[in-house]
Amino acid sequence: MIETKNLSKIYNPGKFEVNAVDNISTLFKEGEFTSVVGPSGSGKTTFLNCVGGLDQPTSGEVIISGENITELSGSKIINYRLNNIGFVFQAYNLIPVLSAKENIEMIMLLQGVDENNRISRTNELLNQVGLYEMRNRRPSQLSGGQQQRVAVARALASKPKFILADEPTANLDSKSTSNLLDIMSQLNEAENITFIFSTHDQRVIDRARRVVTLEDGKIINDNKK
Amino acid sequence: MILKIAWRNIYRNKKRSLITITSIFAALFLIILMRALQFGFYDKLIETVVESYAGYVEVHADGFWDNQNLDNSMEVDQSLINDIKSVEGVANIVQRLQTFSLISMGNKTKGGVINGINISDEQKITDWNKKMISGTFKIGKNEIIIGKGIAEYFDIKENDTLILYGQGYRGMMAAGKYPVKGVIDLKNPDLNKLGVFMNIETARNYVSSDEISTHIIVDKKQYYDEEKIANELTQVLSKDYEIMTWKETLPEIEQTITADNAGGVIMAFILYIIVVFGMFGTVLMMTEERTYEFGVLISLGMSRARLFGIIFIETIILSMIGVFIAIIITYPITFYYNLNPIDMATLMGEGADQMMEEMGFSPLFPMSIEWDIPLTHALVIFISSLLISIYPAIKISKLNPVKSMKI
Repeated sequence: MIETKNLSKIYNPGKFEVNAVDNISTLFKEGEFTSVVGPSGSGKTTFLNCVGGLDQPTSGEVIISGENITELSGSKIINYRLNNIGFVFQAYNLIPVLSAKENIEMIMLLQGVDENNRISRTNELLNQVGLYEMRNRRPSQLSGGQQQRVAVARALASKPKFILADEPTANLDSKSTSNLLDIMSQLNEAENITFIFSTHDQRVIDRARRVVTLEDGKIINDNKK
Repeated sequence: MILKIAWRNIYRNKKRSLITITSIFAALFLIILMRALQFGFYDKLIETVVESYAGYVEVHADGFWDNQNLDNSMEVDQSLINDIKSVEGVANIVQRLQTFSLISMGNKTKGGVINGINISDEQKITDWNKKMISGTFKIGKNEIIIGKGIAEYFDIKENDTLILYGQGYRGMMAAGKYPVKGVIDLKNPDLNKLGVFMNIETARNYVSSDEISTHIIVDKKQYYDEEKIANELTQVLSKDYEIMTWKETLPEIEQTITADNAGGVIMAFILYIIVVFGMFGTVLMMTEERTYEFGVLISLGMSRARLFGIIFIETIILSMIGVFIAIIITYPITFYYNLNPIDMATLMGEGADQMMEEMGFSPLFPMSIEWDIPLTHALVIFISSLLISIYPAIKISKLNPVKSMKI
């Protein structure tokens, strides 16, 4: 469970203040498939960054499974992210010098997983996203949709409870988007992984079971289907 | 995996990596060859002057060096010889009796240095027997061998006789007539102009003393440090003796080497400045153009220390490839020119060999093959790489993943 309490993020405090996230309190239960939507500049990405511990909020708390992650700093927050949260980025952000297989394996290597388990988990994930045959290809040898599927597999590698995806379909065509959403839905249902997307994409919004709408850093609508 | 990422990152920008490696190689190639030639020259110079006359370490009676007369000589007994030989690194020792005298023939007179030597012992230390230009390195009783300069001065022919005249032991007069049995070219103009050699017994007889010596010349085993030997001799011997290394007895040689070495160090420093800035430029670009990627890796859970480790390994691999290639290529070159010294006289043209000989050194310049030359410079490059890595370390420690991914 992810809970935010009075979460605020102010850029340029004391100067030309921008309230990117303005006093948001909300709860994401385990197994939710949520879209955070809103116009550009509404604070979706900043909200997700604060929830994922990438950005430090100006005030408020982010409590994940009872642990206030806003109190973690330095290597503790990096380690927390590694073991508990999976990230999927709009630009895929795969490591260009590593193959699809190695990009996934790297996360488990950072966790200290032994080689046998790393290999079997990597193969399992590659099969799940349908890219086992392309496991040795570098990101530059994969299409955008294939790269994003590798990114999803990488996000799942650490067996996280939550996956935060920032506009994951923004650079994908409709077929790739549909394919990716199918994979994510299956994982959500089969493994009860919580997915939180920030998105503009109506196709994602249509598949979400909860839609949180932000405007000027505030939740203006929270709709559960 | 860290090593794999580092290696692939180097391979990622092949041209840049190649230019960096080439610049490190080129600088180190020049530095190693330059220093090998310099150190080879120093070794040759030391060999010419020290090994062929002075010895690495000298033992005298205390006070002899500052006041070089026979009254400051010493009597050498077996226990003194044993004490000296007990020091680790001492290979051979030889006694000499040295005194100043006038040398005269016909109407000509000049100053010279009489060297009473033990012929068989000297051959363990010096190569004088190979430097005879007439006669052989065998001196009978009351016979002498003279330096090439003296022979030229007096226009000596075989079996000509020289008159030596000087001061003997404890105020005695020293005088005698000695037939010349050979002429030696010591490859040093000063030694050639002054050196007169006779058996130590003949010399003792000349100065009217049966026991005295002025010098004990100590030869060291290869790779032993003469300073260390001198220090140990100071501990072993009583205060009645002074112990000096060739650096003290021949300070002009040490000064020549120091002055020339300074030039080499400055040249190497300039090359290092160029190569270090080249490396820094590469590391700067490697860091700046991958700021986004660093942000991603930190977001995914890679620790900053591990991320720095990748950049550090990349820097070290880049520099060490250049170093390795430079060592591999320079070693056979230095080895070849060690066995086949460069003949500077040929390179510099006619008359250069005579000029060099007059200056006191051989025109043949071998290259040194001491491993400490490439290893020292490899270490300098390695330390430079460590220092250059400070920049990415600072950059990574301050990196904000969100900001870096907004670029």
